[in-house]
Amino acid sequence: MASKEKRSLPKTLFSLLIFLLFITISSPQKITTIRFATWDTGELFQIEQAIAKNFEKLYPNIKVQVESYGDNFDQKLAASFGAKNPPDVMYMWDFPTYAESLLPLDDLIKNEKNINLNDYYPAVLNYCKYENKYYGLPVGFTSHVVYWNKDLFKRNNVQPPSPNWTWDELIDKAKKITNPSQKIYGFAFPISPDPYDFEQFLWSNGGRYCSLDGKEIEGYLNSKEMIETLALFTKMLREGIAVLTGTQQIQSGGDLFKAGKVGMLESGIWRLPEFQEAKLNFGVHILPAFKGKKVKSILNVSAISIAKDSKNIKEAWEFVKYYSYNKDAIKMRKGDLPTRKSVASEMGFLKDPYYQPFYKMVEASKDTVPSFNLNRNMRKVYDELAVTIEKIFSEQADENKIKEYLNELVTTCKRFLK
Amino acid sequence: MKYNKYIPYLFILPWIIGLLSFTLGPLIFSCIMSFYDWPIVGKTNFIGLKNYIDMFQDPLFYNALKATFRYVLLYVPLNTIFALFCAILINPKFRLTSMFKVLFFLPTIVSGVAIAIVWSWIYDKEYGILNYFLSLLGISGINWLGDRKWSIVSLVIASLWTMGNTMLIFLAALKNVPIELYEAAYIDGATNWQRFLKITLPMISPSILFNLITTLISAFQVLTLALLLTGGGPARSSYVFAMYVYHNAFRYSQLGYAAANAWFMFIIIFILTMILFKTSNLWVYYEAES
Repeated sequence: MASKEKRSLPKTLFSLLIFLLFITISSPQKITTIRFATWDTGELFQIEQAIAKNFEKLYPNIKVQVESYGDNFDQKLAASFGAKNPPDVMYMWDFPTYAESLLPLDDLIKNEKNINLNDYYPAVLNYCKYENKYYGLPVGFTSHVVYWNKDLFKRNNVQPPSPNWTWDELIDKAKKITNPSQKIYGFAFPISPDPYDFEQFLWSNGGRYCSLDGKEIEGYLNSKEMIETLALFTKMLREGIAVLTGTQQIQSGGDLFKAGKVGMLESGIWRLPEFQEAKLNFGVHILPAFKGKKVKSILNVSAISIAKDSKNIKEAWEFVKYYSYNKDAIKMRKGDLPTRKSVASEMGFLKDPYYQPFYKMVEASKDTVPSFNLNRNMRKVYDELAVTIEKIFSEQADENKIKEYLNELVTTCKRFLK
Repeated sequence: MKYNKYIPYLFILPWIIGLLSFTLGPLIFSCIMSFYDWPIVGKTNFIGLKNYIDMFQDPLFYNALKATFRYVLLYVPLNTIFALFCAILINPKFRLTSMFKVLFFLPTIVSGVAIAIVWSWIYDKEYGILNYFLSLLGISGINWLGDRKWSIVSLVIASLWTMGNTMLIFLAALKNVPIELYEAAYIDGATNWQRFLKITLPMISPSILFNLITTLISAFQVLTLALLLTGGGPARSSYVFAMYVYHNAFRYSQLGYAAANAWFMFIIIFILTMILFKTSNLWVYYEAES
């Protein structure tokens, strides 16, 4: 018995030593997994997974877990922040709401040699800033344009839109195209437009929803420019040259355009694939300007951000850089437009007549700042504004009524911004 | 056999744990929240009664109260009467009453989302089946979901469809009315209507009270249909109070304010329920107490 113990002790120690040596030699380099939350599903989600796989090939010690939050993106994201267990990296657009939980990227960008910020469109970069700090890098964007039905134009002997056309020209063309007996209208717009997008028309008229410090709406939301802009739309309704779209009870703008019932429609890049698939004979043109003023477009920008509480900031930053800046990653994406000038040029978008107007608009919108980004509580104002605009459009209100409704709106909303 | 007097408590302990974790606990927590500025993401700070003070100055608050009261005033009486009517219809034992029992009760087990989708088709202004039937009667198409005057009515009608639970309670109460009372009245020459008024109604009055209270409580909490059928519109005409709470909490990220809203609604429902209870002594007849 005694000899057995004497023999087995050195043996056990030796085998233990060999075992430990084996483990340390053969154990792989530490793999960090980062979580990436996206609001996409289906095909777009699969593309994002493919981009993540390509990233993993370049960075074998980082694994990216792409999580599809779908329609409940905001709720799931907010819940995960609240539980102090957020994804490391996520799609982002609503910086006022989430900035407190996001990592400001200015220092990382400053020390980064491989990113040339000048290759991003400046307007798009601006949308990734909140309170003068970068909280995300751009992933994709769309500006707004006018789709026009070439067949309807030709049939009514209407000239194509001139290069820097105005609202007067659009109204004139709409009058020539409108044919009430065939239920064909020159123009169509939503009965309840997203106030976020609608601000572009106010910008084009020289106004904005609120002061640049985000505190004052008196004199902005009910300004002469706002009244004029809304009156422009209701006048089209009253003259019967435009029709309302959207909501359950009314037809969708896209469907009407595809059916050849509408001469011109304002929208973003999302409509382009479906109009092309429908084999429509259509053109894309920049938005019309108010006479003597510069035309501007809203931008809908998707960005990618890092959670402040992420435990893997270094790895997250590598992925963010790749996802936003890498040309292959950008070219793989569908659904919106590349944010880098060089990539847009390489893909021929700057010369393609279907894409060029989008890029013309993003260049023209360099100095725009959505009022949404200027105050955390702006969403309440936007919701009230949506209700007010819907009222104005459904009643086809004239300038006096519009002024009255806007003044009521400002009185109601003043308290939200305090 | 030794009997430990704590064993009964052990039996109900799971339920008590559930009550504390999922009902009482959150209840008390939300009350505490209502005194804070509590965003979904970010720091919370104590603001005392400010949420309640702000609430009474918020035009949306009054908007929501108005829409909800309009709904309650229409829905509660209509639901009670309609459920009672259906219960009386299926009470007698004819050949087809079992089939109708099932048919009348079926809507209650359908998900609220499915109900909203079906009714949004029925209510369609151009192609909806409701406007089609109205056109047969010579009434031109009503814009059920797009007209400020009709949005609440549309919600009420769609809600009435799910009166199955109320109807069942009435059915049980109807079946418990002693037949001898009806026979005695018949012998004395009472008409059907008099029998209904003087016998049926008093005898089922406890269940009427029960249904009134439960319908009242659920009416103030209506949300699914408003959210999915009308979205609170048009122009906030159907912006019910529960939607106001929901938006404050999850759209505007003001959980403390939303908690204050919810507690105010609790107080309203509590007061109205108490009024119903106290006045019930005047009209409810409890057979056991006579």
